[in-house]
Amino acid sequence: MSVVLTARELTRHYEVSQGVFKPHATVRALNGVSFELEAGKTLAVVGESGCGKSTLARQLTLIEEPSSGSLKIAGQEVAGASKEQRKQLRRDVQMVFQSPYASLNPRQKIGDQLAEPLLINTSLSRAERREKVQAMMQQVGLRPEHYQRYPHMFSGGQRQRIALARAMMLQPKVLVADEPTSALDVSIQAQVLNLFMDMQQQYQTAYVFISHNLAVVRHVADDVLVMYLGRPAEMGPKEDLYHNPLHPYTQALLSATPTIKPNPDKPRIKIAGELPNPLNPPSGCPFHKRCPYATEKCVTDVPAFRPVGTRQVACHYAEQFLKP
Amino acid sequence: MSLLEIKNLSVRFGDANAVPVVDGLDLTVERGEVLAIVGESGSGKSVTMMALMGLVDAPGIVRADALRFDGHDMLSLSKRQRRQVVGKDLAMIFQDPMTALNPSYTVGFQIEEVLRAHLGLSGRAARARALELLQKVEIPAAASRLDAYPHQLSGGMSQRVAIAMAIAAEPKLLIADEPTTALDVTIQAQIMELLLALQKDQDMGLILITHDLAVVAETAQRVCVMYAGQAVEVGHVPQLFDAPAHPYSEALLAAIPEHSEGAERLSTLPGIVPGRYDRPHGCLLSPRCPYVQENCRQHRPALDPKAQSLARCFYPRNQEVA
Amino acid sequence: MTTQAQPVAADQSLLYPSPLKEFWKAFARNKGAVAGLMFMIVVVFCALFAPWVAPFDPSEQFRDALLTPPSWAEGGQLQYLLGTDELGRDLLSRLIHGARLSLLIGLSSVVMSLIPGIFMGLIAGFFPRILGPSIMRLMDIMLALPSLLLAVAIVAILGAGLINTVIAIAVVSLPSYVRLTRAAVMGELNRDYVTAAKLAGASLPRLMFVTVLPNCLAPLIVQATLSFSSAILDAAALGFLGLGVQPPTPEWGTMLASARDYIERAWWVVSLPGLTILLSVLAINLMGDGLRDALDPKLKNAI
Repeated sequence: MSVVLTARELTRHYEVSQGVFKPHATVRALNGVSFELEAGKTLAVVGESGCGKSTLARQLTLIEEPSSGSLKIAGQEVAGASKEQRKQLRRDVQMVFQSPYASLNPRQKIGDQLAEPLLINTSLSRAERREKVQAMMQQVGLRPEHYQRYPHMFSGGQRQRIALARAMMLQPKVLVADEPTSALDVSIQAQVLNLFMDMQQQYQTAYVFISHNLAVVRHVADDVLVMYLGRPAEMGPKEDLYHNPLHPYTQALLSATPTIKPNPDKPRIKIAGELPNPLNPPSGCPFHKRCPYATEKCVTDVPAFRPVGTRQVACHYAEQFLKP
Repeated sequence: MSLLEIKNLSVRFGDANAVPVVDGLDLTVERGEVLAIVGESGSGKSVTMMALMGLVDAPGIVRADALRFDGHDMLSLSKRQRRQVVGKDLAMIFQDPMTALNPSYTVGFQIEEVLRAHLGLSGRAARARALELLQKVEIPAAASRLDAYPHQLSGGMSQRVAIAMAIAAEPKLLIADEPTTALDVTIQAQIMELLLALQKDQDMGLILITHDLAVVAETAQRVCVMYAGQAVEVGHVPQLFDAPAHPYSEALLAAIPEHSEGAERLSTLPGIVPGRYDRPHGCLLSPRCPYVQENCRQHRPALDPKAQSLARCFYPRNQEVA
Repeated sequence: MTTQAQPVAADQSLLYPSPLKEFWKAFARNKGAVAGLMFMIVVVFCALFAPWVAPFDPSEQFRDALLTPPSWAEGGQLQYLLGTDELGRDLLSRLIHGARLSLLIGLSSVVMSLIPGIFMGLIAGFFPRILGPSIMRLMDIMLALPSLLLAVAIVAILGAGLINTVIAIAVVSLPSYVRLTRAAVMGELNRDYVTAAKLAGASLPRLMFVTVLPNCLAPLIVQATLSFSSAILDAAALGFLGLGVQPPTPEWGTMLASARDYIERAWWVVSLPGLTILLSVLAINLMGDGLRDALDPKLKNAI
């Protein structure tokens, strides 16, 4: 399978002013994330607020430049790309946002919004554009007369379909989906997720699926990347990760996720406290303050993101969790 | 006598002929029980609780055969009497903790306000009790948090403060409207655990409104499933999840990603919840129900006892008792 | 493999009227706004068809009917419906022609300040680091000066007359448009659909004018309506001070000024132009209120 995206040590820092008299503080929103994406596959990025997944989304969709690290999309290096190359890169990565209510322009007909990517990036005639838009609309389950309607006339689920249609108009190689179904009801979520899977099958688009809902992730992902405070904690094939999580944070996440068939015998891994302040991250392993297995070493040494079994883990003691 | 008894509650916006947002709802909650109300947007679950609390203003019209809480007839209370009950014996916490707290006042002030209004405490006694409450909801460094403003707290912390305010007057019934939807998964687990611990500790009734069936499975004893303003199934938790009687309950359970492990596609019901203008003549689910029959399209089923639960269906599923 | 997505059931969008119909329904709910609109339609009609609607030429002086009272008062004549002024000119004709001028002043000053105002507001919003604050400080300076004094100063420099009046009023109303636009732009820039447009490759001009601007229009439209009425007031004030439109041009404010001496003897020469100004400003403000109520909920619906 062909690799469509390669990320190496993506890092992003923000300077935050602390007032007139204090020096600027640095927020390390993203700290060394690396992965590869293959066409037609889905990488799920999982983590809680403040873990850096939104920052990662912004780096991948070229909205921001990483402070360091490299990003290669469809064989093209992003850094140092010429204007022409950047235009092509633009077409190769698209995004679907979380809120169905904010991601569509309230003052533009949805037909025009769907046609816009074609208008900007291709030299198709008006009739050709309209044809393509109608074809895509039918694919996502909209009717032809919906072309003339404004976003507020549609339900949340329909808007996410429109948003997906817009993202797919240019048939990008990579689609970043930032919590696309979190704001939707369960049954609508199911419909929209099915649509996502169908589109992926058809266009062989690689998905980066950002979510905090582990149940949804288990259904859609091929590989999973768990992040904590800007760093990767664990990454690997979905089934291995779910059956045998190696990083204590992954274990806690899985344990905290409510399930339909609760198992009273399964021990509940409790982690106390909240996410540390990103302006003042803990020394050593960022998770050590909340980790039930933390030792002296965890306080002082930052664990490397290294291969353990079929996965990569950033924990000094990952081996002890590895099931035979 | 039940702690909460609702009979035939209906809420309409507009005139008496408007389509009801809540239609003929019956509910009971006992002391110390956890009831979950489950439904999607448009099911009427939040409006039900607002009606109970007397928070539905004109143009909303609230009608019920009975709306009794702890012996009080909520429909006939004067505004003053209602204020004495709501917030004291009947409390509520909301979905978004960031907006549920007043941003202009400190956390301590807001908790003390509740204590002042309902328990008559003031000054040092109020402050001491506020501190106690913050510790009870497990806020670290509670003493310093008393003087914090809501925007200085995270989502999880704000929700804990909201819970502290709600339990300040030791209510008999606590209504939690999607209390953890806006929170991260690990924080959600902490908050749910806290709520359950407090509920057991104070022998409170707890009504949990949510769309997350998994949360229901882990916390509630009984569950009421709502669809388009009606209660379609009411039953006990493990039984309803193992053998749902109403096709909608069955569909909701089937749509959860967990249930489709390995399958390529998630099972879904086609279509969407009926809006105001396209209510079916018969059963409200008939346009979408996979088991629909002609009878369903013509007549509206009543909520009747079936094998293991109450269900609003002529042809309930899973009726063979295990 | 063909993809057949779930068909969407019961097309409720067929029940939705066009945006214009929706807007009219919301606007028409406000009785005051509709009344204001009716009045303004009459005024616009007068302005457009003044030469045919007015019974007489506004500068024609009837020497034998100086200061004739209005037709319903004692001594009035039916042919001079609202009476005549100190030079024997028919008041009704002058008011009708005056409508032309007031509307012209209102419209041109609004357009002259709206367009640069939107431009500057857009730039201030899209370039918030250096260009934005510079523009805003300039606007702050302008706002610090009382608007009427500023208008007087401008007219004093440029000289009296219609065009300079319009320029002065336009300059004075500029800061409010810039501020409004910038605030709206900054609010919209954070929204996902702007990011989505950037992702589609939209260039900066496209982002500014096609993506963001249409979403900032609601408060601007309301402000424009209100500026219209204050433009009429400002023109009247300048005219009253002798700095605006010069007589014999029939402008409502100038008419007020030249009739100052006749308040006791011939109340109609002062009161009627004054009443006309009052009613026009009131009508426009009522319309503006109605516009705001009709446009804002739609904006909220879209959120």
